[in-house]
Amino acid sequence: MKPELKRRLKSKEAVLFLIFVVIFVFMSILSPTRFLSLYNLQSMAYQLPEFGILALSMMIVIITGGINLSVTYTATLAMIIGGFAMSHMFAGGSSAGLSVLVGIILMLAGSLACGAFNGYVIAYIGVTPMLATLGAMTFFEGISLQVTRGGAISGFPIEFIKIGNTAVLGIPVPMIIFLFVLATVYLFLERSRMGATLYMIGSNPKVTRYSGINVRKNLFITYLIASLLAGIAGILMASRYNSAKESYGSSYLLQAVSAAVLGGTSIAGGEGKVIGTVIAVLIIQVISSGLNIIGLNRYLTNVVMGLILIVVLTINFLTREKQFRNN
Amino acid sequence: MKKKVLAVLLVLMLCISMTWANGSSDKGSDELTIVVMPKLVGIPYFNASEVGAMQAGKDLGVNVIYTGPTTADAAEQVRMLEDLISKGVDAICVAPNDAAALTPVLMKAKSAGIAVLDWDTPADPNVVDLSIHQIDDKQYGEHIWDLLVEGMGDTGDYAIITGGLSAANLNSWIDAGLDYAKKTYPGLNLVTERIPSDEKQQVAYQKTLDLIKAYPNLKGVVGISTPAPLGAAQAVEEKGLSDVITVVGTSLPTDSGPYLADGSLKVGTLWDPSKLGYLTVVMAADFLKGNKPVDGQMVENVGKISVWPDGRTVIMGPPADFTKENYKTFNF
Amino acid sequence: MKTKLLKIKELPIILILIVISIIISVANPAFMTLENFLDILKSNLVLAIMSMGMLMVMLTGGIDVSVSSVITAVAVITGYSLMHWSSNLLFTILVAVLSGTVMGLFNGLLIAKLKIPPIVATLGTMSVILGLVLYITNGTWMTGIPEKFIDFGRKKLITFPTGDGKALGIPIQFLFLLVAVLATWFILRKTVIGRGIYAIGGNRDSAERMGFKPDRIIIFVYAFEGFLIGLAAVAHTSIMRQVDPNAFLGFEMQVIAAVVLGGASVLGGYGSILGTLIGVSLFCVINNGLILMHIPTFWQKIVVGLIIIGSISIDMTQKKRTERNKTRVDVE
Repeated sequence: MKPELKRRLKSKEAVLFLIFVVIFVFMSILSPTRFLSLYNLQSMAYQLPEFGILALSMMIVIITGGINLSVTYTATLAMIIGGFAMSHMFAGGSSAGLSVLVGIILMLAGSLACGAFNGYVIAYIGVTPMLATLGAMTFFEGISLQVTRGGAISGFPIEFIKIGNTAVLGIPVPMIIFLFVLATVYLFLERSRMGATLYMIGSNPKVTRYSGINVRKNLFITYLIASLLAGIAGILMASRYNSAKESYGSSYLLQAVSAAVLGGTSIAGGEGKVIGTVIAVLIIQVISSGLNIIGLNRYLTNVVMGLILIVVLTINFLTREKQFRNN
Repeated sequence: MKKKVLAVLLVLMLCISMTWANGSSDKGSDELTIVVMPKLVGIPYFNASEVGAMQAGKDLGVNVIYTGPTTADAAEQVRMLEDLISKGVDAICVAPNDAAALTPVLMKAKSAGIAVLDWDTPADPNVVDLSIHQIDDKQYGEHIWDLLVEGMGDTGDYAIITGGLSAANLNSWIDAGLDYAKKTYPGLNLVTERIPSDEKQQVAYQKTLDLIKAYPNLKGVVGISTPAPLGAAQAVEEKGLSDVITVVGTSLPTDSGPYLADGSLKVGTLWDPSKLGYLTVVMAADFLKGNKPVDGQMVENVGKISVWPDGRTVIMGPPADFTKENYKTFNF
Repeated sequence: MKTKLLKIKELPIILILIVISIIISVANPAFMTLENFLDILKSNLVLAIMSMGMLMVMLTGGIDVSVSSVITAVAVITGYSLMHWSSNLLFTILVAVLSGTVMGLFNGLLIAKLKIPPIVATLGTMSVILGLVLYITNGTWMTGIPEKFIDFGRKKLITFPTGDGKALGIPIQFLFLLVAVLATWFILRKTVIGRGIYAIGGNRDSAERMGFKPDRIIIFVYAFEGFLIGLAAVAHTSIMRQVDPNAFLGFEMQVIAAVVLGGASVLGGYGSILGTLIGVSLFCVINNGLILMHIPTFWQKIVVGLIIIGSISIDMTQKKRTERNKTRVDVE
């Protein structure tokens, strides 16, 4: 038991969590009445879910050795397709409940269609994920623009807006959805057979194929699941922002990659933990909100984020070196 | 090793935060705090309005926070506004990247007792206390098309290069101009839909080169967004077509100087963004003190403003036109 | 035999380029003109120069997403140097190349010595460098570039007279591209380092056993990439005649896409100069063709996305077929 505990305390995730605590304490001391207010904690809990879910989506793909540059445009295309139907139905006299239901179903279906597109091109045609999703990103953006003509789709029923803007017992609904997604992704990746397969594919696709596993099918499903998560993030964004537009959340793309790797996911694939990504998302959220409340120049916030990324990975490297030497 | 590094880091951060916390920040004060949020920071147009907003803060003795997202993303803007509501400010003046997207967060701000204004681009009219416009969008669009016709005549082919397809205010100027052209200048022929240039001069330059070849009878280019007219002018100048193709658009006078001077850019038209920033802060401070704007009111350092009958839409005034002759007299 | 095989590898993508070119020129004969080619060359030089550096990085199995921040930083430094230190051309190039190399060196050290995965390290330096540049400049354009330098930028290498009394010319900036291509070719083909680059991209461990020093090679590659970015920054500034710190937002994706489109493997060890130049050309031709073919604005992104995925899928299927044929030969 004891060495097991010791090993855990020394893990990447433990270090990361410590860093999170340090930053949180740091921000709280800097701004005890504002950063550490109940209002701000709740406000951060509203902000975090959409980004957190996108980061988890990115992480699943990275674990298989891929990357998904189209993740934010998947989310926005999904919300535009669903939002378009929802606002038209609602305006056409359908009941709010039915419009919301159809809207949400179409958003999820739209994201699955995006995932199927990416999955087919990557798994069955064999195009490098980076290039395939880069093309898909432009393609999805193009379709979104074609539908919206550059404007935003709005006029959603208030019931839909409530999803992203209400709290139950003080806990924002988006946060509850995030926790649910988080638990599901954890069970899928780290507790299911298929999850284990994805790690195998990520670390060595050839060997996996020779061991009789259908790599293509698994990869295809990976992109489906990752895109479905993007679709859920899209629902949250559309609801929180009361509208759907192709550019929403475009700044989340590189942040999602950063969160995944900061959380210890290996960009080469085969390695990464859900809890790591979640802590990384927390770190990014706390830095972003904290420095904003303190009033630091927005560009210096970016500098701080970059430095933290480099410092954490350097610490990881030093730890590995030390373990290597001890062995 | 790792522990030591972490320990040192921890101590260092605590020390910094202690001194910082002692120094300033986070203490309540009687001074009014007004947030002015542009669509994004770090572009010349919004830098100029920052100068004006800060100056107004100094002149009026109010605390002005000028901050915004680093990309024109509504999601980022909403997050920052939520943080600022947590921070506790007296007024929020925002130039929305998308009007509808900001409605929920602006309602939150209102219920937290914060005055909400929009500037540069209108937000949802149901949530704002005051709306500061540089100019009437319709008038501005029509004015740009008038300038175009002045240069190329009222018949012939022309094209539009815009900053981005989803920029709401750029679209509303273009739409107003197109409507106007349909009625007033039926001889004008728009060769293709508006072409996006990602707010970059080199993209506008490249697209204009392509346009010149694709539409050999092109006589005019309208550039909407500050870098677009410059890129178009550069392409026209390089092709030696300054006398054939009229370029007009919304550019800042200092940046467009060289192009106005060599004749490739006929006219630029824009208001002084620093005045807009100044006016926004003045109006916010007045509102917080309980004063409503009145039509024809004289605002110091800005000029005479007009107010719509609804009592909350403030119009700064007509834009200035920059030409070869006068661009040096402007300092923005 | 060997050269024949090399040619076959790039064949599908060359054919795609030719087919697309034919389609465009059928739709608009203006495409197949010297003037258009020179326009394409001039407006995509910077992309081509940077793709050479990126190719080398990708050959080692790396990737660099910080290229757009580095060229922004170098352009700002170059602009400052031109305006405040000296407008001497050689000095300017030296300043640009040196600052680029230093930033590249920094990336290289992070990747080689601290073993941070390239995409992560460069993601970090990207935020840091761009954040600092925009914090310092606040995104303000630098427009006071000395005439002497601007005149240099307008020079032509060779001019061709055209019928109507005007003259077309190869832009002087072509020299920078030539230097970049030749230097890359020389390093990859004629030096030990070049063999090392391919070797560590193929298999790092066996490269080390063969006596190559991967760390040094990686540091060299990133520094060389920085050097090329320096050249690109000078070329860019001399074309655009101003420095806009926001001009390269998102440009890294274009560079990476062009190189990968040209057949380089993201995993390293595979890719060629010819392929990369064709990848860049394909990219430019598609962009150029959008307007020449009169494709409506709101369709353009859809078309580009589909062409990228389509052409790379064709390329992929072709490669698979060749591989299958090869294994068949082996078995026989």
